Amino acid sequence: MTENDLDGIIHAPARLRIVATLATLGPGDEIAFPKLRKLLDMTAGNLSTHLRKLEDAEYVEVTKTHEGRTPATYLKLTEHGRAAFREYRTALAGLLKGTGA
Amino acid sequence: MSADHGTPSGTSSGAEPGGDAFDAAARLRMIDDQQARTRSGLEPDSRLLYLAWGAAWLVGYLAMWLTSRDGGQPAAWAGWTLAAAIVAAMVFTMVHSIRRTAGMRGTSARAGAMYGWGWMLGFLTMWAILNGLIRAGAGDEMIAVAANGIACLIVGLMYLGGGMVFQDNGLYALGVWMLVTAAVATLVGLPGTNLVMALLGGGGFLAMGAVTAVVQARRQVGHD
Repeated sequence: MTENDLDGIIHAPARLRIVATLATLGPGDEIAFPKLRKLLDMTAGNLSTHLRKLEDAEYVEVTKTHEGRTPATYLKLTEHGRAAFREYRTALAGLLKGTGA
Repeated sequence: MSADHGTPSGTSSGAEPGGDAFDAAARLRMIDDQQARTRSGLEPDSRLLYLAWGAAWLVGYLAMWLTSRDGGQPAAWAGWTLAAAIVAAMVFTMVHSIRRTAGMRGTSARAGAMYGWGWMLGFLTMWAILNGLIRAGAGDEMIAVAANGIACLIVGLMYLGGGMVFQDNGLYALGVWMLVTAAVATLVGLPGTNLVMALLGGGGFLAMGAVTAVVQARRQVGHD
């Protein structure tokens, strides 16, 4: 296992932080976009861009809904995304052992 | 940070600057930091809640005990102090918990809401029971003993439930402690009931807050 074998979608630091945040939630939980933005300290535009990539890879599930008259967006990790994060993390731990660090 | 960092692995853009400067340990730390930040941003801070309730019970019930330990009725100001302290702790708990958990939906949010309503329903029922006792001719002393015992029983059972739902051993232990407090406070009778509520009840909350703070601080040190 080398760095080159790591999942390229999660490897980008911003997306790693997003996936790590979503992985903290239970499998049955969703988080609203503004709340996620606050936990990550990212701009709305930046977060949207990364979320779209994660959605395209089917790592993240996006639900658009209305609360009263206000549109709201909720996000959660898919099973696929959760497994990918778990694998990425295991790979990191493996690399760490491999280098003897 | 470039938004276009998602090139498949194997190209240099996926790596940190400096080639093999890529640091798996730093990546793992980044994950842990972000997950710790997420948890503290979404879960109510139990240290603050225990402190609020411990202070409220300690101050309120001590006032009740100090003005009634000669065997008479507690002073009116003591009753108001207890009521104000309980209401303040309740408002703080609701505002803090709702703020922390806002923006979440799904299984956990639903369990949390059901837990919150459980408290409300428990105390509404207690109010009905006390009214029934008054109608049945219960005097002041019986009402005071029953009110404290039932309140403490509700707290104890809700904590047992919370410990089960949120898989929190500390919360479950506090529930057991509160049931002991309910039993002792009721068996001791007035005016000792108030002292038991202040020391075992209020003290129990404060001790739990201190234990939680120490455990969290240790976890933080181990993590850094």
